[in-house]
Amino acid sequence: MTMESLFEALKRSLEEYEPDKAKEIAQELITVHQVDPLKVIDDVLSPTMEEIGEKFDRMDIFLPELMGAAEAMQAATSILTEYIRKSTTQRLERKAKVVLGTVHGDIHEIGKNIVKIMLEVSGFEVFDLGKDVPSIQFIEKANEVNADVIALSALMTTTMMSQKEVIELLEALGKRDNYLVIIGGAPTTASWQEEIGADGWAETAVGAAKLATKLLEERAK
Amino acid sequence: MVTPPWRINEVLDRAQNGPICLEGDFDLKLLVPELQRVVKEYDICFDPIIPVPQDNTLADSLWKAAMDLYLEVGTLCTDTHRRILFTEDEIKEALGNFPGKFTLGFGRDSKEISCRKIEDTQRPFCLFSPDITCDEDLFVPMSMAYLQEPLADGVCAPILDEIEGMPIRSGFPSEVKGSVAHAMMFREAARRVGRPGIFLKSVGTAESDAAQIAASNPEWGERLTDGRFVASVTELKVDNSLLNKMVHFHTYGCFVGSLAGPIMGGYAGGPEGTAVVGVAYHLMGLLVNQAHFMNYFPFHLKHTCNTMRQLLWVISITYQALSRNSNLVSMSNGFAAAGPCTQMVLNEAAAHALVSVVSGANLWEMAVAKNKVKNYATPMEARMAAEVGCGAANEKISRVDANEIVLALLKTYEENIEDAPLGKNFRECYDVRRIKPSDDYMTLYGKTRRELDDIGVPFIY
Repeated sequence: MTMESLFEALKRSLEEYEPDKAKEIAQELITVHQVDPLKVIDDVLSPTMEEIGEKFDRMDIFLPELMGAAEAMQAATSILTEYIRKSTTQRLERKAKVVLGTVHGDIHEIGKNIVKIMLEVSGFEVFDLGKDVPSIQFIEKANEVNADVIALSALMTTTMMSQKEVIELLEALGKRDNYLVIIGGAPTTASWQEEIGADGWAETAVGAAKLATKLLEERAK
Repeated sequence: MVTPPWRINEVLDRAQNGPICLEGDFDLKLLVPELQRVVKEYDICFDPIIPVPQDNTLADSLWKAAMDLYLEVGTLCTDTHRRILFTEDEIKEALGNFPGKFTLGFGRDSKEISCRKIEDTQRPFCLFSPDITCDEDLFVPMSMAYLQEPLADGVCAPILDEIEGMPIRSGFPSEVKGSVAHAMMFREAARRVGRPGIFLKSVGTAESDAAQIAASNPEWGERLTDGRFVASVTELKVDNSLLNKMVHFHTYGCFVGSLAGPIMGGYAGGPEGTAVVGVAYHLMGLLVNQAHFMNYFPFHLKHTCNTMRQLLWVISITYQALSRNSNLVSMSNGFAAAGPCTQMVLNEAAAHALVSVVSGANLWEMAVAKNKVKNYATPMEARMAAEVGCGAANEKISRVDANEIVLALLKTYEENIEDAPLGKNFRECYDVRRIKPSDDYMTLYGKTRRELDDIGVPFIY
């Protein structure tokens, strides 16, 4: 197969949720065709996953399909990153790290799980603390892993206050400037973000990944 | 007929000693593939031009698919990482012992709720509920506004998120305090409208088990004739806090409801999978939450409403499956995209009620404005739903006729779901001091009612 047709097949393996095939094609691309693994990520995996994310955002596909595509992407990426690590000529960029969780008192996590997928396929390293996470744990984990972003999900008006609490704790501990804090969840709004002093708010999972990317780019300037 | 509860200790034992399964594996390695298998195997198919299906075979296939799914998957307790599994014989025993009707509330104000059949002429039980948070000073007037609605057989109060100036936080002492106040004020509101014995569903302010338990008191709080809810964790999961509530409610002796809100677009996938999970949730409600009645609100992951075509189909076929194969008692909970004082929300309310009642449901109406905005709900939306629901039973509306009417209704609002109008909040729609709807809303209601009448929407009077 030519390199172009392998690119096409790799794209299809994501669209058809086939992790084994994705892995196999990625392997062939770098060993037989000696394609730059970063080119595979930039030209095939990232744009395909972005298309799939948009399809999910429109609800043309559903969560199981999104997760299947993400699994296929991660399978291909594992081969590519392994190769990059071994290579003496290329160096992996440090992935931005996000500490993510549903806030204290809240047991809803489907939205948070979707955000996790979208962050991972957008190139973030995600530390998922799960649901009903005590506020201090977000900060402890962020310190431990040297995170860039803390992402807080809340689905109830009676748990939104925990988003505020995390920010208040960060301020009290003198660590507010160490992390970008983004929030989301059904009852949250842009005005709530402003009120509590979070750095960003996203209405959807796809939006959350884009927001984190944008905020980090702005911070890097 | 002693159930529910069915067998509390069996559930608790299995939540401690059932097969171990991690949550991620339950969602992705068990539920999703099993769900995809049964949807295919039982040939469950959504047809967008028939939001009210008329195929009894499809309804029965859905029941079998859900039974198959639930036997394979069961319910996961996320705290113990154990699956609570049941045998087919146990499910049959619980279903066989379910009485199919209860008297809710007490004395003169009590009402019977029962299982309904497809195209049933029996009037649905209508529970009126704002399903949203409100300002503390609005709690009593808003509750009274709902309680004084003539078609309300039962009422659920709005939710407090502040008490005496303190924000209520789930799991905090403020939640216990707010929940006790909620129970007290709600009873006061019922007495003030002259319906002290009406069935009250409480305490929505209490998310935690501790706050729910704190509100149980026959003198000033939750009575034995009232109803309480045990929720679930998406999808088909519980935790110890939810099981604590189940045990408390049953040992206290009040009525127990089970909340079932499968998410279309989430793990349940499309409309077909959502319907299968919806029926399975009713089995879970009976066996794990040991409920007397269910509150069923499948909803769209992105739009958090259930008045679009796919969800109306899910609601219809779920209730048809339940009605033909069980005598479970269930209320269909509407979630509208538009907010109060808009024609769209009234049309959505009519569509939801019509589909639900013709398919065999009782009514729980209704969350509006995508269930997101504080103070955005009034009894007028529930009134429309109840008038249509009772009208559908009265006029013996068939599924075929309902389908035609619903298609006409969908034309009026379907394209606007994404950017649905927010409408007005309770203060803008009601004279809060007199507890009366505004002239604007009454005029809009009358105009919409006439237009709906013209396209064949049934009304009780």
